[in-house]
Amino acid sequence: MSNKPTRLPVLKPEGNVPESAGVAEENVLPVLLSRREDAIGFFETLMKGPVSNTLGWARKHSLFQYPFVTACCGMEYMSVAASRYDVARFGAEFPRFSPRQADLLMIVGTINIKQSPILKMVYDQMAEPKWVMAFGVCASTGGFYDNYATVQGADRIIPVDVYVPGCPPRPEQVLDGLKILQEKIQAQRHNVATLEREAVPASADSKRKSFLGKLLSK
Amino acid sequence: MSQALIDLLKEKLPDAIVSSHSHCGDEVVVVKREQIVDVIKFLRDDPAAEMKLLSQIACIDMLTFATEQTGGGSIGSLEMPAYAKTNQGPYEPRYQVAYNLASVTKKHRLRVRVELRSDDCTLPTITSLYPTANWWERYCWDMMGIEFTAHPNLERLLLYPEFVGHPLRKDYPIHRRQPLVHEHDFPDLVRGPGPGPGGANVPMSQTHVGRKNVDPNTYE
Repeated sequence: MSNKPTRLPVLKPEGNVPESAGVAEENVLPVLLSRREDAIGFFETLMKGPVSNTLGWARKHSLFQYPFVTACCGMEYMSVAASRYDVARFGAEFPRFSPRQADLLMIVGTINIKQSPILKMVYDQMAEPKWVMAFGVCASTGGFYDNYATVQGADRIIPVDVYVPGCPPRPEQVLDGLKILQEKIQAQRHNVATLEREAVPASADSKRKSFLGKLLSK
Repeated sequence: MSQALIDLLKEKLPDAIVSSHSHCGDEVVVVKREQIVDVIKFLRDDPAAEMKLLSQIACIDMLTFATEQTGGGSIGSLEMPAYAKTNQGPYEPRYQVAYNLASVTKKHRLRVRVELRSDDCTLPTITSLYPTANWWERYCWDMMGIEFTAHPNLERLLLYPEFVGHPLRKDYPIHRRQPLVHEHDFPDLVRGPGPGPGGANVPMSQTHVGRKNVDPNTYE
């Protein structure tokens, strides 16, 4: 019982050891207050840079794609995804067939007007962060389908990050587009998720706030 | 090869035949609209014809036929139909509906054609003779607006029900789009409706790159 270790005080990261605690400095460890700070510290030490760079680095090498394959470009997509051209070298090898589990929407093929609500719904179901690649000239501009039935480019419906031209594009072009997208992702600003809420002015509804919301608003 | 079929038709149903000719080795017989069901039923059931296969029902819009003959195509003029420039008026009868019939057992084929004027483009259905005519007639209605009377389910086959008009008619504007979801306007004269306000009003996702979302150290 006499070997019971000295209980360490809970300290703020930037705080120093209070003199009155009477604890030797070597016994004090900096205590992280939240998992958020834990994550930020981890990311900063990982790449020895800002958190955003590290998150971008992690995200660009781990793209989960949703292939929205509607036309003949799907053949080239298969070639890209298979062993010869091997998109796995760039960390995007894992197609998910649910938009809720994907963060890269590849629009592979012609989008006609009857299909456009489906594409819109698939895009809306994807969780942030998400990126979109228009694979081939039909998805980019409508291609030579300049007619009553075809959407003249997927960017008329949803935002598109990278356009890969070609009818169909060579697999090298797709890999090129993927590299460009990776550059773009790296250059974007990524934030660690936060639970902090904006201060809500007191009202009659404030009593109805959730327990977590009450805690965080204090 | 199918000349015997035309002779047979002329012998059995002389009132129904308008004319007949041969085009590129395919025999064509033009029949009256009122007797199209009788002609096709005869061709299906007659033991000498035995045309059990309806391979296609096709429709042709002859609106610009006269001007195309003289070199004025319909594609070259986006603003107005070519016939309007030449003051000739639309070609009548404007529509032709062709039934391509074939016989698997007798190994012959025949094209039965009906001509329709633009003020009354209705036809009796042959769904009761060939079940496959159901979709072909819906297709003709969808693309060309040929109305088949007494069809069990005359709805659009390929296009969406919100679509207005019949897109394969020659007078359908070549750049008219009928989008189902809201489309952003682009300042693009080539690709369709526009010019619009441009990219400024386009709602972007959180990670979608505008210039403001890019790390300036990388790109500038």
